Amino acid sequence: MKIFKSIKWQLQLWYGLILVAVLAALGVTAYQLQRNLQFSRIDGELQRRFPPLTDALHAHGRGPGGPPFEGMPPDQMPGDLPPPDDARPHEFHLPPQAVAFFDANDPHNFYFTIYRDGEEVARSTNAPAKNIFSQDDSIVFASEPGAGPGRPPQTVTEGNIRASIHTLPTGETIVVGCNIANELHELNMTALTLTGVGAIILFFGLAGGWWISSRAIRPVENISATAVKISAGDLSQRINSAEMEGELGQLAAVLNSTFARLEAAFAQQKQFASDAAHELRTPVSVILTQTQTALNREREAGEYKQTVEACQRAAQRMKKLIGALLELARLDAGQEQMKRLRFDFSKTVGDCVDVIKPLADERQVNLERTLSPVEIQGDSERLAQTVTNLLSNAIQYNHDGGVVKISTRAENGMAVLIVSDTGQGIPAEDLPRIFERFYRADRSRSSGNAGLGLAISKAIISAHGGTIDVASEENVGTTFTLRLPLT
Amino acid sequence: MRLLIIEDEPDLLSSLAQALREEGYAVDTANNGEDGFYKAENYNYDAVVLDVMLPKMDGWEVLARLRKIKKTPVLMLTARDQSRDRVRGLDTGADDYVVKPFDLPELFARVRALIRRTANKTTNAIEIGNVKIDTAARNISRAGKPVELTAREYALVEFMALHRGEVVTRTQLYDHLFDENDDSFSNLLDVHVSNVRKKLGAEFIMTRRGHGYCIE
Repeated sequence: MKIFKSIKWQLQLWYGLILVAVLAALGVTAYQLQRNLQFSRIDGELQRRFPPLTDALHAHGRGPGGPPFEGMPPDQMPGDLPPPDDARPHEFHLPPQAVAFFDANDPHNFYFTIYRDGEEVARSTNAPAKNIFSQDDSIVFASEPGAGPGRPPQTVTEGNIRASIHTLPTGETIVVGCNIANELHELNMTALTLTGVGAIILFFGLAGGWWISSRAIRPVENISATAVKISAGDLSQRINSAEMEGELGQLAAVLNSTFARLEAAFAQQKQFASDAAHELRTPVSVILTQTQTALNREREAGEYKQTVEACQRAAQRMKKLIGALLELARLDAGQEQMKRLRFDFSKTVGDCVDVIKPLADERQVNLERTLSPVEIQGDSERLAQTVTNLLSNAIQYNHDGGVVKISTRAENGMAVLIVSDTGQGIPAEDLPRIFERFYRADRSRSSGNAGLGLAISKAIISAHGGTIDVASEENVGTTFTLRLPLT
Repeated sequence: MRLLIIEDEPDLLSSLAQALREEGYAVDTANNGEDGFYKAENYNYDAVVLDVMLPKMDGWEVLARLRKIKKTPVLMLTARDQSRDRVRGLDTGADDYVVKPFDLPELFARVRALIRRTANKTTNAIEIGNVKIDTAARNISRAGKPVELTAREYALVEFMALHRGEVVTRTQLYDHLFDENDDSFSNLLDVHVSNVRKKLGAEFIMTRRGHGYCIE
């Protein structure tokens, strides 16, 4: 059932059970203590009454004849005294203070009965008529465990009567009992009170527990609600963790930063798609304007040729752009299977330098190379693409007569390629952004550069498990450092 | 009418300038923000077509600076089509905003609208006596019959018609009918005026000696 899956309810259930158990234990203990207290008090009273009886029995029990049992209230006839039997010492005389012990006015109604050899030989007037300890009027307690001469006193409770049974070494059995109806009533009252109080405590405890668990769960509900909004598409939502502390606060903080990264990644994707479409606008615009103008009136062949050439240039630009975009998209999706072959990176670099030399000569830029062999594992074509990109940038943004230094070496388990130029440099504020897609330090488009070269290079290098860093100073030069793991 | 186009993409700039010249406008060009601003500052163009992504000074800055000193109508040309870019353009002071790629006929119409609005005209038709000028179709009729005019002659008539009632100096006419690429001889203007008078009537353009010309 759903309700039992709720943490709040489960918490409440367990908490409730524990509370009930604790309260029950407490209640039972309190009750027991009270009961023990009551009974030990009663038992104490019972025990107090034995010595006088014992004394009376021994003092007077064996004399021939003697005065009948004294100590009975004057307006009471001596009760069931068994007929005097000379063979049996049956009379005894209770001193007055002992008589007070068995006052019938006392609600406890202390009484005594004395047996010898299974027969009653003396009793107090307020003793219960029926021997409550026998099944069928015969005295069976002699066979009770513990009963018997010399045995320790035994205390029994039956109904409202509690009695203590002493068996004397001389063979008599003295039973002193009392009515514990009051005590029992009190105990019942105690039990009821404890139950009542326990119920109230339980109620408030459960209520309090519910309140506490609600408060504890509320941050979780808060987090959950925010997550729902986010998964519905609003990535700008954040968990309001202002009041959350401890473990939940940490969780909220971690989730918030994850959401922020998610939002940034999505924004970047959207931006990329939009920038890509955007970049295509200009070449299309060129083609459209050129062709519409050409078609406005009759032209000469030469003019048509110019128009067609302009369209070609635009189409080439779009071709390059589309190629770069697809490359990036594939690298992004991890679909590009990078070849994993071993090769000497320094040779690849050398080849790239050779290929780019004509461009360098055109701009009167000197290429200085110091290439130490470094063996790496990866896709030599793609890495060559990257190196060429770096070299052409170094030449393009250089001054005429400038220098480009290229070096490869092994360092700390990495193959390191350094391309440094003496060119115009990159402004400090642009430096962290040059690897971004479509980012061009020169904001115009006339150089025909879409700003994807470094982004692609970075993606390729990352796919090889390497890093690329840049340092630059305006009008002094720029240095790119490429690191790839050595095999 | 004389226009300035500021656009850094060379193939686009060249064909746009050609197309507009063939429409009868005098067209100056600039391929970066600095040059563009300099020219706009120094001549009173009838309209400026301004690209946003420019080297040396971007279109926004050119526009902002220009607006401080002139009321030249500006039509922004850009690949950015987001609403917020349009808003920014229009709020910064552009009079119109066209997204690339665009259709030439649409661009022409918008330029015409800009010029018309600046001259406080609401329609494309201007009537002066029995001469009717259709600035959209760029043709003129007199007493119901169409009149053949060269592009320059038409431009002259259109300019004067839009400044009807004002005295237009020769210098103004030079500035608005010829662009930087023209080698203009001073008597070329007289030739044009004379031709127009032949075709539309001697009284069509009045001479104010020492001041200039005017259409009443």
